[in-house]
Amino acid sequence: MALLAALVVYPLLYNVGLSLRNYRTGEFVGLHNFARALEDPQFFASLRATGVYVSAALATELTLGLALALLVHRTIHSGWARALVYVLFLIPMVTPPVAAGVIARLIYTPTYGILNVLLLRLGAISSDVLWLSEPATAMFAVLSVDVWQWMPFVFLVCFAGLQAVPADTVEAARVDGADGWRLFWHIEFPYLQSLLLLVLVFRFTDTFRVFDHVQVLTAGGPGATTEFLSLYLYRVAFKFFNLSYAAALSLFVLLVTSLAFAVLGRYLVREVSA
Amino acid sequence: MVVLLVGALAVASTAVAAPGLPPKPAKLTMAVVAGGETKGLKAILPMWEREMGVKVELVEFPYPTLYEKLVTAFQANAPTFDLLIADDPWMPKFGSEGWLVPLDQTFGYQRDPDIFPVVYDLGSWPPPRGPIPPGEAGKPRRLYAITLVGNVEFFMYRKDLLPAPQTWDDVIANARKVHDPSKPFYGFVIRGAKGNPVISEFTPVLLSFGARIFDNNWRVVLNSKEAVDALRFFAVELKKYAPPGVANYDAAERAREVATGRAAQGFIWPAEITDIVENPAVSTVIGKMGYTLAPRGPGGKHAPLMGNWLLAIPKASRNQRWAYEFILWATSARVQRPYALGGGIPFRRSILQDADLNRRFPFFKAMADSLAAPAEWRPRTQEWFAVEAILGTHVNAALAGIETPEEAITKAAREIERHMKEAGYYR
Repeated sequence: MALLAALVVYPLLYNVGLSLRNYRTGEFVGLHNFARALEDPQFFASLRATGVYVSAALATELTLGLALALLVHRTIHSGWARALVYVLFLIPMVTPPVAAGVIARLIYTPTYGILNVLLLRLGAISSDVLWLSEPATAMFAVLSVDVWQWMPFVFLVCFAGLQAVPADTVEAARVDGADGWRLFWHIEFPYLQSLLLLVLVFRFTDTFRVFDHVQVLTAGGPGATTEFLSLYLYRVAFKFFNLSYAAALSLFVLLVTSLAFAVLGRYLVREVSA
Repeated sequence: MVVLLVGALAVASTAVAAPGLPPKPAKLTMAVVAGGETKGLKAILPMWEREMGVKVELVEFPYPTLYEKLVTAFQANAPTFDLLIADDPWMPKFGSEGWLVPLDQTFGYQRDPDIFPVVYDLGSWPPPRGPIPPGEAGKPRRLYAITLVGNVEFFMYRKDLLPAPQTWDDVIANARKVHDPSKPFYGFVIRGAKGNPVISEFTPVLLSFGARIFDNNWRVVLNSKEAVDALRFFAVELKKYAPPGVANYDAAERAREVATGRAAQGFIWPAEITDIVENPAVSTVIGKMGYTLAPRGPGGKHAPLMGNWLLAIPKASRNQRWAYEFILWATSARVQRPYALGGGIPFRRSILQDADLNRRFPFFKAMADSLAAPAEWRPRTQEWFAVEAILGTHVNAALAGIETPEEAITKAAREIERHMKEAGYYR
């Protein structure tokens, strides 16, 4: 209990205290640092960029992960082939995000990056695409790393969930003439529902706090187009050394992620008690 | 003659050490940055240990960690380190906090004419020119650090194809002459990645156009015609001759473009030359590169950028006198030669102008000229990292075409002013 207090409660209270003071003089300023956020265009720009990133990453990862899980579940039945798929999907997840960022930087670099070279040879493009220095493509580039790294997590959870669907129920539905879509919607999806919510909350909180690979790949650029909330927070804390404002922003991040977990918690309690 | 002069200077350097050293400590512990900056230091350490019989233990940290470790040790007044090397933009923090031993006041350090005055200016606090942070102006000026790594940013060009550019007009004329993306061969390569990279690149252009970020009272004067012209030149004119995607180029990409024979001109730091551009293992342009001062702008000024690493002694060190002896020894003309030959970046006039060494290191003269120019330093404030982050975002946005030069300068000036206000520089 004391350890918990030392590791969690004290830093949290310290952070709250910091957010209510002037970072330079230590003077008590009430909610000034929170009010400052409301009139900070860079904060809103980072929030917008984070919104785009989170929604695009979640939509892509959930759709692709689920689709692939269904595909593998329905088409691959051999044990060793499934094991191979498992191992292949684990590789991105165990890659450190910084390493993933470095690899992606090499792939997306114009002129000698493998992606441009391949696309040019295939005739898909006639001149180099500036993946990391145009706003839309830079967003795509940072998203692609997230999807590569974390779509497998969605896949693995959904695939495991699909194994829990009773084979005789599926068989009965098929005998009754259920096609692929109906089978999924009426039989399989109910088994996956709580798992998907769990995945959604985990991925939401992770993408909301994304930092490592973005810092390596674009450092928030070009301009501030991929400067997500966590990168802006880092800038405020470790470049501006405005620790009080950074503390206020971090409490905002804590609030949003806590809300997401509260929704999950409430749902899970309902599921368990149902 | 040169030998005599070097000899005399070496004697002069050791002569300033007060006689009667305290007993030898078991070792001196020195905090250093991990990477190429310590190559020369590592080369001379066995010599020091042989001559003095005192071990120097290097504790290496990556760049951002070193700053944090030093600040933490200073705040705790812990005798963890006897010596340190510090990046020059850290001096305002270390100087204002009074964390370092004043070398002139404590040990009677005498200035050496073989060392460029800008080196002493850089290691002094409060700074001898430019704006001084609030509360610092009344403090007596002391020398707290002496350069070990004479890093300075200057200019490189393909001397087999082009004449040495003196002005930015010359640079454009050169670029026009050789630029041919179909080969591909680019007229100019920009290190344009957001933050520190693009600001290291843009600052010499900005200053050479006669623009400034602050006046002498820290009022932001960035929003000027000169600054907008400088950014337009940088983000539009120079970019025309740059490889695609430079808005995300850091030092490695820039050096690679030159070393592989794909770019003709650009800024350069010494470590990139020794590691890549003049490294026969990776470069195809050995013997083809010329090095010169950062070009002069319409403001009529060459503005090479200072990036020295400085040797200093923390106040909490228990071996200050021996640490000072090490500083005198390592920065002496006698030792700077093996230091340079061992891959270090020297900073003494006599070493940088030495004909023999210049044959081996063809960029030494450009370094000497840059330090004599004198090289410009980043504004001497603890807030520089914030200023760099703000300006670095907007200059990068201009380079990527997201903001116009006018927008970028206006927004940057506004945000810098707000930050300086919050930091207590004015109401």
